[in-house]
Amino acid sequence: MNRATLWLQLRRTAALALVLLLWEGISALGWVDPFYAPPPSAIGGAIAELFVDGEIYKHLEATFGAALMGLFLGLAGGALLGFIAALVRPVAELLEPVMAMLNAIPRVILAPLFIIWLGIGIASKVALSFILVVVLTFFAVYNGIRDVDMRLVERVKTLGGGPLVLLREVYVPSVVAWVMGSLKVAVGFAFTGAVVGEFVASSRGLGYLLAFAQSTYNAELTFALIVLVLVFVMLLFGLAGALERYLLRWKYRR
Amino acid sequence: MMLDIRDLQMSYGDEPVLEAVDLGVAEGEFVSLIGPSGCGKSTLLRAVMGLQKPSAGEVRLGPSRDEVGFLFQDDALLPWRTARDNVALGLRIRGTGKAEARRTALGWLESMGLGQFGDRYPRELSGGQRKRVAIAQVLALRPRLLLMDEPFASLDAIVRHYLTEDLLGWVEGEHLTVLMVTHDLEEAVAVSDRVVLLGSGPRAQVKGRWEIDLPRPRDLLSVKEEHEFAVTARALWDALSEEVRTPVSRRRPTAEAAAS
Repeated sequence: MNRATLWLQLRRTAALALVLLLWEGISALGWVDPFYAPPPSAIGGAIAELFVDGEIYKHLEATFGAALMGLFLGLAGGALLGFIAALVRPVAELLEPVMAMLNAIPRVILAPLFIIWLGIGIASKVALSFILVVVLTFFAVYNGIRDVDMRLVERVKTLGGGPLVLLREVYVPSVVAWVMGSLKVAVGFAFTGAVVGEFVASSRGLGYLLAFAQSTYNAELTFALIVLVLVFVMLLFGLAGALERYLLRWKYRR
Repeated sequence: MMLDIRDLQMSYGDEPVLEAVDLGVAEGEFVSLIGPSGCGKSTLLRAVMGLQKPSAGEVRLGPSRDEVGFLFQDDALLPWRTARDNVALGLRIRGTGKAEARRTALGWLESMGLGQFGDRYPRELSGGQRKRVAIAQVLALRPRLLLMDEPFASLDAIVRHYLTEDLLGWVEGEHLTVLMVTHDLEEAVAVSDRVVLLGSGPRAQVKGRWEIDLPRPRDLLSVKEEHEFAVTARALWDALSEEVRTPVSRRRPTAEAAAS
C-alpha cells in the first residue's frame, strides 16, 4: 500500500468514526429516541451479546451454509448451462427465453413458492440463492462465449489447434474472465437469497433473527444484524476480489 | 511448386469476390500480392490457409498444412498467456513436452531480441514487441511456406522498417517460401521476387505480374536506390492507379447540371 492509498484509508476511517461519534452524541443528548435509532454503543453491545451467549453461531452457520451452497451451485449450474447453450443451438432456443424471463422479474418473489415446495428448512434458501445466482452466471457465460475474440480462435486454429485446444486455450479463459467480472455481484445475490428466504419462513439464520427482531420491535437487534451481514459480505467481497486478481493476473499485474 | 492456385473463385453468399485467379508460388520464392483495399487479397490468403472454402477452383499445397505458417494483420496473442507460452503454444499443440516447448520458445524470443520479455503478458508489451512475439510463434513451428496478411500495417514507419528487415533476414536465411498480402507498393517491390496485382472487386482478377530482378540478400534501404526498383515501382504505381482512380471533372457543378 502506498502513501496515497494509506492516507485515503485514514481519512475514510476518520469520517466513519466522526459519523458514529455524532450519532452517539445525538443519542446521549436525547435528540432522537433510542427506541427507533439506538446509539452505536448499544448496537455494538447487542452484537457482542449475540456472540457472548453463543446464540448467533447456529444462525450464522445456517445463513452461510445456504448462501455458499447457493453460490457454488449457481456458479457451476450457470456456467454449465451457459456453455451448453452457447455451443448447442436448440438448447439456447429453449433456455434463453426462460432465463430472460427469470432475469426480468425480481426473483425473490419466488421465495414463497420455494417454501411451499421445499419446506422451511435450508433447501428452500439454497434454492432461492441458486436461482438468483444461476441466471446471472448463465448470461455472463453465454454472452462471454458468443463474444469470444474470433481472431484468437483463428490464430489457434492456424497453429494447428483442434476443438479441445480451442476450449482450453480460448473459451475457458474467456469465460473465467466473464464470470470473475460478475463474481462480486453473485456473492451479494447469494446472501440476498439466503437472508430473504429465511425472512419469509424459517427456524434459524440471520433472516430468521431479523424477522424476530422486527416482530418484537427490537431496533437494536435489527441494526446489529444489518451490521453483521454487512461485515460478512464485505469479507467475502474481499476474498472474491483476491481470487479475481489471482485468476486474471494477466489483466491486473502492474 | 509450393503453392498452386487454379481458377479460384471466392464468394460471400452469392457475391463473388475473386474470380478465375491463377497463382503459382515456387519453392524459395517471395511473392507479394497487392491491390486496392477490399479486392479480396486477404480472402485469397484465408483460402490458402483453409480458413475459408473456395466456391470454385482449387488450392494445391506442396507442403502439408502443418508446414504452413500464417502471420495475421493484427497482433492478437492470447492475453492470458505470457509471451513465452504464446510462442510455446504451437509446439505444445504439435505434441512437444512442456519443458522443451518453453525452452524452444525462449530461444525464439531471444533471437527476436525479446529474451528478457518471456514472462510478460501481451498487455505489458508494445505493439512492435507483440508483433515480434507473433513472428516467433509462427517461425517456431519451422514452416516451409509463410503466408502474411499485411503483417506490419498497424506499426509506425521506423518499427515497421526494422521488423521488415529482420523478417527478410529470416526468410532469406531459412530459404522460406512466402506469399504476402500488402497495400504498400514500395515494400512489395523491395522484398519480393515477384509482385502480383489484383484488380478491384467484385469479381477481382489478376491484372498483372512483375518479376523483381534484384540480387539477394537485399538491404531494405539501399535496394530503393536501384534503377530496377524505381522502374518497377513506377510501373506498379501506374497499374494500381488505374484500378483505384475514380474519374473526376474538377469543375464546379453548374446549376443546369444539378437541375437536369
